[in-house]
Amino acid sequence: MRALNKTTAKRLAHFCLFFFSLLSFAAAQPTIRVSSQDHDDYSRVIVTFPSSLPFTLEKDGNLLMVRISSASSFRLKAEPVKSRLIKSFSWVTSGDLYIIVIDVRHDRFRQDSFQIEKKHQLVIDLYELAELPVGEAAVVEAPEAAPEPEKKEEPPPSTEVAAPPVEGSSPEANGIRTIVIDPGHGGLEIGAKGKFGTLEKDITLAISLRLKALIEKSLAFHVELTRDRDMDVSLENRAAIANNHRAELFISIHANSSYRRNANGSETFFLSLNATDEEARRLAYLENNSAELDSPLATGNKDDIMMILWDMAQSAYLKQSQRLAEIIQDELNSLLGTRDRGIKQAPFKVLTGVACPAVLVEAAFLSNPEEERDLAQQSFQENVAQAVYRGLVRYIKLMS
Amino acid sequence: MKKRAITPAQWTLFGLSLIAVLILVAVLFRGAGGEKIKSAAVTSPSESPAEPAPEAKTIALFFLSEDDNLLHPEQRKILASPSIVEEAEQAVEELIRGSDKGYISPLPPETKVRQLFVTKEGVAYVDLSREIMESHPSGSSAELATVYSIVNTLAYNFKPIKKVFILVEGSEKETLSGHINLSQPFVPLYSLNAR
Repeated sequence: MRALNKTTAKRLAHFCLFFFSLLSFAAAQPTIRVSSQDHDDYSRVIVTFPSSLPFTLEKDGNLLMVRISSASSFRLKAEPVKSRLIKSFSWVTSGDLYIIVIDVRHDRFRQDSFQIEKKHQLVIDLYELAELPVGEAAVVEAPEAAPEPEKKEEPPPSTEVAAPPVEGSSPEANGIRTIVIDPGHGGLEIGAKGKFGTLEKDITLAISLRLKALIEKSLAFHVELTRDRDMDVSLENRAAIANNHRAELFISIHANSSYRRNANGSETFFLSLNATDEEARRLAYLENNSAELDSPLATGNKDDIMMILWDMAQSAYLKQSQRLAEIIQDELNSLLGTRDRGIKQAPFKVLTGVACPAVLVEAAFLSNPEEERDLAQQSFQENVAQAVYRGLVRYIKLMS
Repeated sequence: MKKRAITPAQWTLFGLSLIAVLILVAVLFRGAGGEKIKSAAVTSPSESPAEPAPEAKTIALFFLSEDDNLLHPEQRKILASPSIVEEAEQAVEELIRGSDKGYISPLPPETKVRQLFVTKEGVAYVDLSREIMESHPSGSSAELATVYSIVNTLAYNFKPIKKVFILVEGSEKETLSGHINLSQPFVPLYSLNAR
Protein backbone atom coordinates (compact mmCIF):
# COMPACT_ATOMS: atom_id res chain seq x y z
CA MET A 1 0.00 0.00 0.00
CA ARG A 2 2.71 2.31 1.11
CA ALA A 3 4.80 1.31 -1.87
CA LEU A 4 1.96 2.03 -4.17
CA ASN A 5 1.59 5.50 -2.68
CA LYS A 6 5.25 6.09 -3.10
CA THR A 7 5.21 5.00 -6.69
CA THR A 8 2.29 7.26 -7.38
CA ALA A 9 4.07 10.15 -5.72
CA LYS A 10 7.18 9.47 -7.73
CA ARG A 11 5.24 9.29 -10.96
CA LEU A 12 3.49 12.48 -10.06
CA ALA A 13 6.83 14.09 -9.33
CA HIS A 14 8.16 13.04 -12.71
CA PHE A 15 5.04 14.23 -14.39
CA CYS A 16 5.40 17.57 -12.62
CA LEU A 17 9.03 17.76 -13.58
CA PHE A 18 7.99 17.38 -17.17
CA PHE A 19 5.61 20.30 -16.78
CA PHE A 20 8.29 22.25 -14.98
CA SER A 21 10.66 21.84 -17.88
CA LEU A 22 7.88 22.87 -20.24
CA LEU A 23 7.33 25.93 -18.12
CA SER A 24 10.97 26.92 -18.15
CA PHE A 25 10.92 26.60 -21.93
CA ALA A 26 7.91 28.84 -22.10
CA ALA A 27 9.53 31.36 -19.79
CA ALA A 28 12.68 31.54 -21.89
CA GLN A 29 10.55 32.23 -25.02
CA PRO A 30 13.01 31.46 -27.76
CA THR A 31 12.52 33.83 -30.65
CA ILE A 32 12.57 33.24 -34.37
CA ARG A 33 13.53 36.39 -36.21
CA VAL A 34 12.60 37.26 -39.75
CA SER A 35 14.03 40.12 -41.74
CA SER A 36 14.13 41.17 -45.37
CA GLN A 37 16.25 43.32 -47.62
CA ASP A 38 16.33 44.25 -51.29
CA HIS A 39 19.45 43.76 -53.38
CA ASP A 40 20.13 44.68 -56.99
CA ASP A 41 18.43 41.74 -58.61
CA TYR A 42 16.94 39.81 -55.75
CA SER A 43 15.23 40.19 -52.39
CA ARG A 44 16.68 38.41 -49.40
CA VAL A 45 14.77 37.02 -46.46
CA ILE A 46 16.70 35.85 -43.42
CA VAL A 47 15.10 33.57 -40.87
CA THR A 48 17.16 33.27 -37.69
CA PHE A 49 16.31 30.34 -35.45
CA PRO A 50 17.22 30.26 -31.75
CA SER A 51 18.91 26.89 -32.26
CA SER A 52 19.35 24.38 -35.00
CA LEU A 53 15.82 23.35 -35.95
CA PRO A 54 14.56 21.07 -38.68
CA PHE A 55 12.42 22.90 -41.22
CA THR A 56 11.08 22.66 -44.72
CA LEU A 57 10.62 25.42 -47.25
CA GLU A 58 7.67 25.32 -49.59
CA LYS A 59 6.31 27.62 -52.26
CA ASP A 60 2.59 27.81 -52.87
CA GLY A 61 1.46 30.46 -55.32
CA ASN A 62 2.61 33.77 -53.93
CA LEU A 63 3.28 32.31 -50.49
CA LEU A 64 6.53 30.92 -49.18
CA MET A 65 6.15 28.79 -46.10
CA VAL A 66 8.81 27.73 -43.67
CA ARG A 67 7.49 24.79 -41.64
CA ILE A 68 9.11 24.05 -38.32
CA SER A 69 8.20 21.06 -36.24
CA SER A 70 9.15 21.44 -32.63
CA ALA A 71 7.74 20.68 -29.21
CA SER A 72 8.98 23.90 -27.67
CA SER A 73 7.23 27.19 -28.07
CA PHE A 74 8.49 30.19 -29.96
CA ARG A 75 7.82 33.80 -30.53
CA LEU A 76 8.16 35.37 -33.93
CA LYS A 77 9.83 38.69 -34.24
CA ALA A 78 9.40 40.11 -37.71
CA GLU A 79 11.39 43.16 -38.65
CA PRO A 80 9.53 45.77 -40.70
CA VAL A 81 9.39 44.59 -44.32
CA LYS A 82 12.20 46.20 -46.28
CA SER A 83 11.54 44.56 -49.60
CA ARG A 84 9.20 45.79 -52.29
CA LEU A 85 8.62 42.20 -53.36
CA ILE A 86 7.30 41.14 -49.98
CA LYS A 87 3.92 42.08 -48.63
CA SER A 88 4.11 40.76 -45.10
CA PHE A 89 5.36 38.12 -42.70
CA SER A 90 2.98 36.20 -40.53
CA TRP A 91 2.88 32.89 -38.80
CA VAL A 92 0.45 30.23 -37.85
CA THR A 93 0.77 27.37 -35.45
CA SER A 94 -1.00 24.16 -34.70
CA GLY A 95 0.30 21.82 -32.04
CA ASP A 96 3.97 21.18 -32.71
CA LEU A 97 3.85 22.74 -36.14
CA TYR A 98 4.92 26.31 -36.74
CA ILE A 99 4.62 27.89 -40.16
CA ILE A 100 6.17 31.19 -41.07
CA VAL A 101 4.28 32.63 -44.00
CA ILE A 102 6.10 34.99 -46.32
CA ASP A 103 3.47 36.76 -48.37
CA VAL A 104 5.07 37.76 -51.67
CA ARG A 105 3.33 40.33 -53.85
CA HIS A 106 2.89 37.88 -56.71
CA ASP A 107 3.82 34.32 -57.60
CA ARG A 108 6.25 35.10 -60.40
CA PHE A 109 9.45 34.48 -58.52
CA ARG A 110 12.00 31.77 -58.00
CA GLN A 111 13.65 31.15 -54.67
CA ASP A 112 17.15 30.07 -53.81
CA SER A 113 17.85 29.12 -50.24
CA PHE A 114 20.85 28.17 -48.16
CA GLN A 115 21.72 27.83 -44.52
CA ILE A 116 24.33 29.45 -42.35
CA GLU A 117 24.78 26.70 -39.78
CA LYS A 118 26.78 28.72 -37.28
CA LYS A 119 24.18 31.39 -36.97
CA HIS A 120 21.19 29.01 -37.29
CA GLN A 121 20.09 31.07 -40.24
CA LEU A 122 18.03 30.24 -43.26
CA VAL A 123 18.63 32.61 -46.14
CA ILE A 124 16.05 32.77 -48.92
CA ASP A 125 16.76 34.81 -52.03
CA LEU A 126 13.80 35.69 -54.20
CA TYR A 127 14.34 36.37 -57.89
CA GLU A 128 11.45 38.02 -59.67
CA LEU A 129 10.57 36.31 -62.96
CA ALA A 130 9.52 37.93 -66.19
CA GLU A 131 5.94 37.92 -67.37
CA LEU A 132 4.52 34.95 -69.19
CA PRO A 133 4.04 35.43 -72.92
CA VAL A 134 1.02 37.27 -74.22
CA GLY A 135 -2.25 35.42 -73.86
CA GLU A 136 -5.80 36.50 -74.28
CA ALA A 137 -7.66 36.64 -71.02
CA ALA A 138 -9.76 33.53 -71.15
CA VAL A 139 -13.47 33.53 -70.59
CA VAL A 140 -13.77 31.61 -67.39
CA GLU A 141 -16.66 29.19 -67.37
CA ALA A 142 -17.05 28.97 -63.64
CA PRO A 143 -15.96 32.19 -61.98
CA GLU A 144 -15.09 30.45 -58.71
CA ALA A 145 -12.64 28.17 -60.51
CA ALA A 146 -8.91 28.26 -59.89
CA PRO A 147 -6.86 31.34 -60.77
CA GLU A 148 -6.59 31.86 -64.44
CA PRO A 149 -3.13 31.06 -65.73
CA GLU A 150 -3.21 33.40 -68.71
CA LYS A 151 -1.52 36.74 -68.39
CA LYS A 152 -1.78 39.69 -70.68
CA GLU A 153 1.47 41.53 -71.09
CA GLU A 154 1.63 45.26 -70.91
CA PRO A 155 4.73 47.42 -70.96
CA PRO A 156 5.35 48.93 -67.55
CA PRO A 157 4.01 52.47 -67.83
CA SER A 158 6.72 53.83 -65.55
CA THR A 159 9.58 53.03 -67.87
CA GLU A 160 10.35 53.28 -71.58
CA VAL A 161 12.74 50.36 -71.52
CA ALA A 162 11.47 47.10 -72.97
CA ALA A 163 10.43 44.76 -70.21
CA PRO A 164 13.62 43.22 -68.85
CA PRO A 165 13.65 39.58 -67.82
CA VAL A 166 13.80 40.54 -64.17
CA GLU A 167 11.88 43.60 -63.15
CA GLY A 168 11.14 44.71 -59.66
CA SER A 169 8.27 47.08 -60.06
CA SER A 170 4.79 46.60 -58.67
CA PRO A 171 2.57 43.80 -59.98
CA GLU A 172 0.18 46.43 -61.32
CA ALA A 173 2.88 47.83 -63.54
CA ASN A 174 3.89 44.42 -64.79
CA GLY A 175 0.85 42.28 -65.05
CA ILE A 176 -2.60 42.33 -66.47
CA ARG A 177 -4.77 45.05 -65.09
CA THR A 178 -8.01 43.65 -63.83
CA ILE A 179 -11.12 45.11 -62.29
CA VAL A 180 -13.45 42.66 -60.63
CA ILE A 181 -17.14 43.47 -60.71
CA ASP A 182 -19.34 41.60 -58.31
CA PRO A 183 -23.04 41.36 -59.18
CA GLY A 184 -24.59 40.91 -55.72
CA HIS A 185 -26.43 37.69 -54.82
CA GLY A 186 -27.47 35.11 -57.46
CA GLY A 187 -28.94 31.64 -57.71
CA LEU A 188 -31.00 30.64 -54.68
CA GLU A 189 -29.78 33.73 -52.92
CA ILE A 190 -32.13 36.24 -54.52
CA GLY A 191 -31.26 39.21 -52.30
CA ALA A 192 -33.96 41.81 -51.82
CA LYS A 193 -37.29 41.59 -53.61
CA GLY A 194 -39.43 44.52 -54.72
CA LYS A 195 -43.18 44.85 -54.35
CA PHE A 196 -43.62 44.21 -58.10
CA GLY A 197 -41.39 41.16 -57.97
CA THR A 198 -38.12 42.70 -59.14
CA LEU A 199 -35.24 40.65 -57.76
CA GLU A 200 -32.01 42.20 -56.55
CA LYS A 201 -29.92 39.43 -58.14
CA ASP A 202 -31.28 40.25 -61.62
CA ILE A 203 -30.75 44.00 -61.30
CA THR A 204 -27.19 43.62 -60.01
CA LEU A 205 -26.28 41.32 -62.90
CA ALA A 206 -27.83 43.64 -65.51
CA ILE A 207 -25.94 46.67 -64.17
CA SER A 208 -22.69 44.70 -63.85
CA LEU A 209 -22.82 43.45 -67.45
CA ARG A 210 -23.31 47.01 -68.66
CA LEU A 211 -20.46 48.24 -66.49
CA LYS A 212 -18.16 45.51 -67.81
CA ALA A 213 -18.98 46.53 -71.39
CA LEU A 214 -18.28 50.21 -70.66
CA ILE A 215 -14.93 49.50 -69.04
CA GLU A 216 -13.68 47.10 -71.67
CA LYS A 217 -14.71 49.44 -74.45
CA SER A 218 -12.63 52.39 -73.26
CA LEU A 219 -10.22 51.39 -70.51
CA ALA A 220 -7.13 49.21 -70.76
CA PHE A 221 -8.53 46.89 -68.14
CA HIS A 222 -9.74 43.35 -68.20
CA VAL A 223 -13.00 42.90 -66.32
CA GLU A 224 -13.66 39.75 -64.40
CA LEU A 225 -17.19 39.16 -63.14
CA THR A 226 -17.74 37.09 -60.01
CA ARG A 227 -20.72 35.66 -61.90
CA ASP A 228 -21.95 36.28 -65.45
CA ARG A 229 -25.31 34.55 -65.07
CA ASP A 230 -27.81 33.57 -62.45
CA MET A 231 -25.81 31.33 -60.17
CA ASP A 232 -24.78 30.94 -56.55
CA VAL A 233 -21.37 32.24 -55.61
CA SER A 234 -20.34 32.31 -51.96
CA LEU A 235 -19.19 35.60 -50.46
CA GLU A 236 -15.75 34.16 -49.79
CA ASN A 237 -15.38 33.04 -53.38
CA ARG A 238 -16.23 36.52 -54.61
CA ALA A 239 -13.28 37.92 -52.71
CA ALA A 240 -11.19 34.95 -53.82
CA ILE A 241 -11.93 35.69 -57.46
CA ALA A 242 -10.68 39.24 -56.98
CA ASN A 243 -7.53 38.08 -55.23
CA ASN A 244 -6.80 35.24 -57.63
CA HIS A 245 -7.01 37.66 -60.53
CA ARG A 246 -4.93 40.21 -58.65
CA ALA A 247 -7.68 42.71 -59.19
CA GLU A 248 -6.73 46.34 -58.82
CA LEU A 249 -10.27 47.36 -57.99
CA PHE A 250 -13.31 45.53 -56.70
CA ILE A 251 -16.83 46.87 -57.20
CA SER A 252 -19.79 45.06 -55.70
CA ILE A 253 -23.13 46.09 -57.19
CA HIS A 254 -26.28 45.88 -55.07
CA ALA A 255 -29.81 47.18 -54.79
CA ASN A 256 -30.90 48.19 -51.34
CA SER A 257 -33.90 47.34 -49.20
CA SER A 258 -35.13 48.77 -45.94
CA TYR A 259 -37.83 48.15 -43.35
CA ARG A 260 -38.77 51.78 -43.97
CA ARG A 261 -41.16 52.12 -46.88
CA ASN A 262 -39.90 55.60 -47.77
CA ALA A 263 -36.22 54.81 -47.72
CA ASN A 264 -34.71 55.99 -51.01
CA GLY A 265 -31.49 57.08 -52.63
CA SER A 266 -28.06 55.80 -53.57
CA GLU A 267 -25.11 55.15 -51.34
CA THR A 268 -21.63 53.71 -51.60
CA PHE A 269 -20.13 51.62 -48.82
CA PHE A 270 -16.62 50.69 -47.89
CA LEU A 271 -15.62 48.28 -45.17
CA SER A 272 -15.75 49.13 -41.50
CA LEU A 273 -13.74 46.89 -39.28
CA ASN A 274 -16.38 46.94 -36.59
CA ALA A 275 -13.65 47.93 -34.14
CA THR A 276 -13.50 44.56 -32.48
CA ASP A 277 -10.41 43.49 -30.63
CA GLU A 278 -9.70 40.93 -33.26
CA GLU A 279 -9.86 43.49 -36.02
CA ALA A 280 -7.82 45.93 -34.03
CA ARG A 281 -5.20 43.28 -33.57
CA ARG A 282 -5.17 42.48 -37.26
CA LEU A 283 -4.92 46.11 -38.15
CA ALA A 284 -2.12 46.74 -35.71
CA TYR A 285 -0.35 43.73 -37.08
CA LEU A 286 -0.68 44.91 -40.64
CA GLU A 287 0.41 48.41 -39.91
CA ASN A 288 3.31 47.42 -37.77
CA ASN A 289 5.26 44.55 -39.16
CA SER A 290 7.69 44.64 -36.30
CA ALA A 291 4.93 43.77 -33.88
CA GLU A 292 5.71 40.71 -31.85
CA LEU A 293 2.99 38.18 -32.22
CA ASP A 294 2.84 36.84 -28.72
CA SER A 295 -0.43 35.10 -29.36
CA PRO A 296 -0.02 33.59 -32.79
CA LEU A 297 -3.17 32.99 -34.76
CA ALA A 298 -4.05 29.41 -34.07
CA THR A 299 -4.91 27.39 -37.10
CA GLY A 300 -4.48 24.02 -38.71
CA ASN A 301 -3.88 23.78 -42.41
CA LYS A 302 -3.04 25.75 -45.51
CA ASP A 303 -6.63 26.66 -46.27
CA ASP A 304 -6.78 28.31 -42.89
CA ILE A 305 -3.63 30.24 -43.65
CA MET A 306 -5.20 31.52 -46.81
CA MET A 307 -8.32 32.39 -44.88
CA ILE A 308 -6.39 34.40 -42.33
CA LEU A 309 -4.44 36.29 -44.95
CA TRP A 310 -7.60 37.03 -46.87
CA ASP A 311 -9.57 37.90 -43.78
CA MET A 312 -7.10 40.66 -43.14
CA ALA A 313 -6.82 41.75 -46.72
CA GLN A 314 -9.17 44.72 -46.96
CA SER A 315 -7.95 46.45 -43.82
CA ALA A 316 -4.81 47.51 -45.70
CA TYR A 317 -6.84 49.30 -48.38
CA LEU A 318 -9.40 51.25 -46.39
CA LYS A 319 -8.08 54.68 -47.30
CA GLN A 320 -8.11 53.98 -51.03
CA SER A 321 -11.49 52.30 -50.71
CA GLN A 322 -12.88 55.40 -49.04
CA ARG A 323 -11.53 57.62 -51.81
CA LEU A 324 -13.00 55.32 -54.45
CA ALA A 325 -16.36 55.35 -52.63
CA GLU A 326 -16.36 59.15 -52.50
CA ILE A 327 -15.69 59.50 -56.20
CA ILE A 328 -18.26 56.90 -57.25
CA GLN A 329 -20.87 58.40 -54.94
CA ASP A 330 -20.18 61.79 -56.47
CA GLU A 331 -20.86 60.41 -59.96
CA LEU A 332 -24.00 58.58 -58.82
CA ASN A 333 -25.30 61.85 -57.43
CA SER A 334 -24.76 63.75 -60.64
CA LEU A 335 -26.09 61.05 -62.98
CA LEU A 336 -28.97 59.34 -61.24
CA GLY A 337 -31.09 62.08 -59.73
CA THR A 338 -31.55 59.89 -56.69
CA ARG A 339 -31.16 61.18 -53.17
CA ASP A 340 -27.55 61.36 -52.00
CA ARG A 341 -27.21 59.07 -49.02
CA GLY A 342 -23.47 59.63 -49.01
CA ILE A 343 -20.67 57.19 -48.39
CA LYS A 344 -20.89 54.88 -45.42
CA GLN A 345 -18.85 52.28 -43.64
CA ALA A 346 -20.27 48.91 -42.69
CA PRO A 347 -18.88 45.43 -42.00
CA PHE A 348 -19.80 43.86 -45.31
CA LYS A 349 -18.77 40.24 -45.50
CA VAL A 350 -17.98 40.36 -49.23
CA LEU A 351 -15.48 43.21 -48.84
CA THR A 352 -13.53 41.78 -45.90
CA GLY A 353 -11.18 39.55 -47.82
CA VAL A 354 -10.60 41.66 -50.90
CA ALA A 355 -6.94 42.62 -51.32
CA CYS A 356 -7.43 45.86 -53.28
CA PRO A 357 -9.54 49.01 -53.01
CA ALA A 358 -13.12 47.74 -52.77
CA VAL A 359 -16.53 49.35 -52.54
CA LEU A 360 -20.15 48.24 -52.53
CA VAL A 361 -22.63 50.34 -54.48
CA GLU A 362 -26.28 50.40 -53.41
CA ALA A 363 -27.85 51.85 -56.55
CA ALA A 364 -31.35 52.50 -55.17
CA PHE A 365 -34.05 50.91 -53.02
CA LEU A 366 -36.04 47.92 -54.24
CA SER A 367 -38.22 48.32 -51.15
CA ASN A 368 -39.35 51.68 -52.49
CA PRO A 369 -41.93 51.13 -55.29
CA GLU A 370 -40.82 54.18 -57.27
CA GLU A 371 -37.20 53.21 -57.14
CA GLU A 372 -38.08 49.61 -57.91
CA ARG A 373 -39.57 50.86 -61.18
CA ASP A 374 -36.40 52.87 -61.84
CA LEU A 375 -34.14 49.92 -61.12
CA ALA A 376 -36.06 47.69 -63.51
CA GLN A 377 -35.55 50.17 -66.37
CA GLN A 378 -32.66 49.67 -68.75
CA SER A 379 -32.01 53.41 -68.98
CA PHE A 380 -31.59 53.63 -65.20
CA GLN A 381 -29.36 50.54 -65.15
CA GLU A 382 -27.24 52.11 -67.89
CA ASN A 383 -26.97 55.32 -65.84
CA VAL A 384 -25.81 53.44 -62.76
CA ALA A 385 -23.20 51.66 -64.87
CA GLN A 386 -22.16 54.99 -66.45
CA ALA A 387 -21.81 56.65 -63.04
CA VAL A 388 -19.67 53.86 -61.62
CA TYR A 389 -17.63 53.79 -64.83
CA ARG A 390 -16.96 57.55 -64.63
CA GLY A 391 -16.02 57.14 -61.00
CA LEU A 392 -13.53 54.43 -61.92
CA VAL A 393 -11.99 56.56 -64.67
CA ARG A 394 -11.55 59.45 -62.24
CA TYR A 395 -10.10 57.21 -59.55
CA ILE A 396 -7.63 55.52 -61.90
CA LYS A 397 -6.47 58.89 -63.19
CA LEU A 398 -6.08 60.15 -59.65
CA MET A 399 -3.96 57.18 -58.64
CA SER A 400 -1.74 56.98 -61.72
CA MET B 1 7.93 -5.47 -0.72
CA LYS B 2 10.55 -3.26 0.81
CA LYS B 3 9.44 -0.15 2.56
CA ARG B 4 11.24 2.98 1.50
CA ALA B 5 10.48 6.42 2.77
CA ILE B 6 10.30 9.29 0.35
CA THR B 7 13.39 11.37 0.91
CA PRO B 8 13.06 15.07 1.77
CA ALA B 9 14.71 15.85 -1.55
CA GLN B 10 11.98 14.00 -3.35
CA TRP B 11 9.35 15.88 -1.39
CA THR B 12 11.00 19.18 -2.28
CA LEU B 13 11.06 18.19 -5.92
CA PHE B 14 7.45 17.17 -5.70
CA GLY B 15 6.52 20.47 -4.04
CA LEU B 16 8.42 22.53 -6.58
CA SER B 17 6.86 20.65 -9.45
CA LEU B 18 3.42 21.12 -7.98
CA ILE B 19 4.00 24.89 -7.79
CA ALA B 20 5.25 24.84 -11.36
CA VAL B 21 2.15 23.05 -12.53
CA LEU B 22 -0.07 25.50 -10.69
CA ILE B 23 1.72 28.44 -12.29
CA LEU B 24 1.50 26.81 -15.70
CA VAL B 25 -2.20 26.14 -15.29
CA ALA B 26 -2.76 29.73 -14.18
CA VAL B 27 -0.81 31.07 -17.14
CA LEU B 28 -2.63 28.81 -19.57
CA PHE B 29 -6.03 29.78 -18.28
CA ARG B 30 -5.24 33.47 -18.32
CA GLY B 31 -4.04 33.18 -21.89
CA ALA B 32 -7.10 31.25 -22.97
CA GLY B 33 -9.58 34.07 -22.62
CA GLY B 34 -10.75 33.66 -26.20
CA GLU B 35 -14.11 34.73 -27.45
CA LYS B 36 -14.94 31.44 -29.07
CA ILE B 37 -18.23 30.24 -27.89
CA LYS B 38 -16.85 26.85 -26.88
CA SER B 39 -14.31 28.20 -24.43
CA ALA B 40 -16.30 31.16 -23.24
CA ALA B 41 -17.08 31.39 -19.58
CA VAL B 42 -20.78 31.69 -19.19
CA THR B 43 -22.58 33.58 -16.51
CA SER B 44 -25.65 31.50 -16.01
CA PRO B 45 -28.87 33.04 -14.79
CA SER B 46 -28.51 33.11 -11.04
CA GLU B 47 -30.90 30.90 -9.18
CA SER B 48 -32.48 33.41 -6.86
CA PRO B 49 -35.45 32.37 -4.75
CA ALA B 50 -38.79 33.49 -6.11
CA GLU B 51 -39.43 37.05 -5.00
CA PRO B 52 -42.99 37.74 -3.98
CA ALA B 53 -43.31 41.07 -5.82
CA PRO B 54 -41.21 41.31 -8.98
CA GLU B 55 -39.89 44.80 -9.51
CA ALA B 56 -40.16 46.58 -12.82
CA LYS B 57 -37.23 48.16 -14.58
CA THR B 58 -37.42 50.68 -17.40
CA ILE B 59 -35.11 50.22 -20.37
CA ALA B 60 -34.80 51.90 -23.77
CA LEU B 61 -35.48 49.85 -26.90
CA PHE B 62 -34.07 51.15 -30.17
CA PHE B 63 -36.45 51.04 -33.12
CA LEU B 64 -36.37 52.36 -36.67
CA SER B 65 -38.39 55.41 -37.56
CA GLU B 66 -40.07 56.05 -40.89
CA ASP B 67 -38.91 59.68 -40.69
CA ASP B 68 -35.17 59.19 -40.77
CA ASN B 69 -32.65 56.41 -40.97
CA LEU B 70 -31.94 56.46 -37.25
CA LEU B 71 -32.72 54.24 -34.29
CA HIS B 72 -35.13 55.88 -31.85
CA PRO B 73 -35.40 54.99 -28.16
CA GLU B 74 -38.71 53.85 -26.70
CA GLN B 75 -39.09 53.30 -22.97
CA ARG B 76 -40.27 49.83 -21.99
CA LYS B 77 -40.87 48.22 -18.61
CA ILE B 78 -39.37 44.79 -18.08
CA LEU B 79 -39.16 42.58 -14.98
CA ALA B 80 -36.14 43.44 -12.92
CA SER B 81 -33.89 40.48 -12.30
CA PRO B 82 -30.64 40.01 -10.44
CA SER B 83 -29.32 38.45 -13.63
CA ILE B 84 -28.64 40.72 -16.58
CA VAL B 85 -29.01 37.68 -18.81
CA GLU B 86 -32.71 37.47 -17.98
CA GLU B 87 -33.13 41.20 -18.43
CA ALA B 88 -31.23 41.22 -21.73
CA GLU B 89 -33.35 38.35 -22.99
CA GLN B 90 -36.51 40.32 -22.21
CA ALA B 91 -35.05 43.35 -23.99
CA VAL B 92 -34.55 41.40 -27.24
CA GLU B 93 -38.00 39.80 -26.90
CA GLU B 94 -39.54 43.25 -26.48
CA LEU B 95 -37.65 44.47 -29.57
CA ILE B 96 -39.19 41.62 -31.54
CA ARG B 97 -42.65 42.35 -30.07
CA GLY B 98 -42.38 45.81 -31.60
CA SER B 99 -43.08 49.43 -30.85
CA ASP B 100 -46.09 50.94 -29.08
CA LYS B 101 -45.38 54.32 -30.64
CA GLY B 102 -45.46 53.51 -34.31
CA TYR B 103 -41.77 52.88 -34.75
CA ILE B 104 -40.60 49.93 -36.85
CA SER B 105 -39.05 46.82 -35.36
CA PRO B 106 -36.36 45.60 -37.76
CA LEU B 107 -36.74 42.04 -36.46
CA PRO B 108 -39.25 39.60 -38.01
CA PRO B 109 -42.07 39.19 -35.43
CA GLU B 110 -41.90 35.36 -35.62
CA THR B 111 -38.33 35.40 -34.35
CA LYS B 112 -37.68 33.73 -30.97
CA VAL B 113 -34.79 34.26 -28.61
CA ARG B 114 -33.44 30.75 -28.23
CA GLN B 115 -30.76 31.60 -25.73
CA LEU B 116 -28.73 34.50 -24.49
CA PHE B 117 -25.60 34.49 -22.43
CA VAL B 118 -22.88 36.91 -21.52
CA THR B 119 -19.23 36.00 -21.22
CA LYS B 120 -17.10 37.48 -18.49
CA GLU B 121 -15.33 39.50 -21.20
CA GLY B 122 -18.63 41.27 -21.84
CA VAL B 123 -19.66 39.61 -25.07
CA ALA B 124 -23.39 38.90 -25.21
CA TYR B 125 -24.24 35.93 -27.41
CA VAL B 126 -27.77 36.27 -28.70
CA ASP B 127 -29.05 33.07 -30.25
CA LEU B 128 -32.09 33.73 -32.43
CA SER B 129 -34.42 31.33 -34.21
CA ARG B 130 -34.23 30.73 -37.97
CA GLU B 131 -36.94 33.30 -38.71
CA ILE B 132 -34.41 36.10 -38.25
CA MET B 133 -32.91 34.90 -41.55
CA GLU B 134 -35.85 33.26 -43.30
CA SER B 135 -38.26 36.16 -42.85
CA HIS B 136 -35.66 38.85 -43.33
CA PRO B 137 -36.36 41.19 -46.25
CA SER B 138 -32.62 41.29 -47.13
CA GLY B 139 -30.96 44.53 -48.21
CA SER B 140 -28.00 46.30 -46.64
CA SER B 141 -30.09 48.91 -44.85
CA ALA B 142 -32.47 46.32 -43.45
CA GLU B 143 -29.63 44.13 -42.20
CA LEU B 144 -27.83 47.05 -40.61
CA ALA B 145 -31.04 48.07 -38.83
CA THR B 146 -31.63 44.53 -37.53
CA VAL B 147 -28.12 44.13 -36.24
CA TYR B 148 -27.76 47.52 -34.61
CA SER B 149 -31.21 47.65 -33.01
CA ILE B 150 -30.14 44.55 -31.07
CA VAL B 151 -26.56 45.62 -30.46
CA ASN B 152 -27.34 49.20 -29.44
CA THR B 153 -30.28 48.16 -27.23
CA LEU B 154 -28.20 45.62 -25.33
CA ALA B 155 -25.07 47.73 -24.96
CA TYR B 156 -27.03 50.86 -24.03
CA ASN B 157 -29.05 49.25 -21.23
CA PHE B 158 -26.61 46.76 -19.81
CA LYS B 159 -23.24 48.11 -18.78
CA PRO B 160 -21.48 44.72 -18.62
CA ILE B 161 -22.34 44.09 -22.28
CA LYS B 162 -19.62 45.57 -24.46
CA LYS B 163 -20.14 43.58 -27.64
CA VAL B 164 -22.83 41.43 -29.15
CA PHE B 165 -22.42 38.26 -31.15
CA ILE B 166 -25.49 37.19 -33.10
CA LEU B 167 -26.05 33.46 -33.54
CA VAL B 168 -28.83 31.79 -35.49
CA GLU B 169 -30.19 28.38 -34.44
CA GLY B 170 -27.23 27.92 -32.17
CA SER B 171 -24.48 28.53 -34.66
CA GLU B 172 -22.41 31.26 -36.20
CA LYS B 173 -23.74 32.51 -39.56
CA GLU B 174 -21.92 34.38 -42.28
CA THR B 175 -24.65 37.00 -42.78
CA LEU B 176 -28.39 37.37 -42.23
CA SER B 177 -29.03 37.73 -45.93
CA GLY B 178 -25.85 38.30 -47.85
CA HIS B 179 -24.52 41.58 -46.50
CA ILE B 180 -23.40 42.32 -42.95
CA ASN B 181 -20.72 40.05 -41.51
CA LEU B 182 -22.05 38.10 -38.52
CA SER B 183 -18.88 36.12 -37.91
CA GLN B 184 -17.59 38.63 -35.41
CA PRO B 185 -18.98 40.44 -32.38
CA PHE B 186 -20.41 43.91 -32.90
CA VAL B 187 -19.61 46.94 -30.81
CA PRO B 188 -22.50 49.40 -30.52
CA LEU B 189 -22.71 52.11 -33.14
CA TYR B 190 -24.35 54.99 -31.32
CA SER B 191 -24.06 57.27 -34.34
CA LEU B 192 -27.08 55.34 -35.63
CA ASN B 193 -29.15 56.45 -32.63
CA ALA B 194 -31.35 59.52 -32.86
CA ARG B 195 -30.39 62.30 -30.50
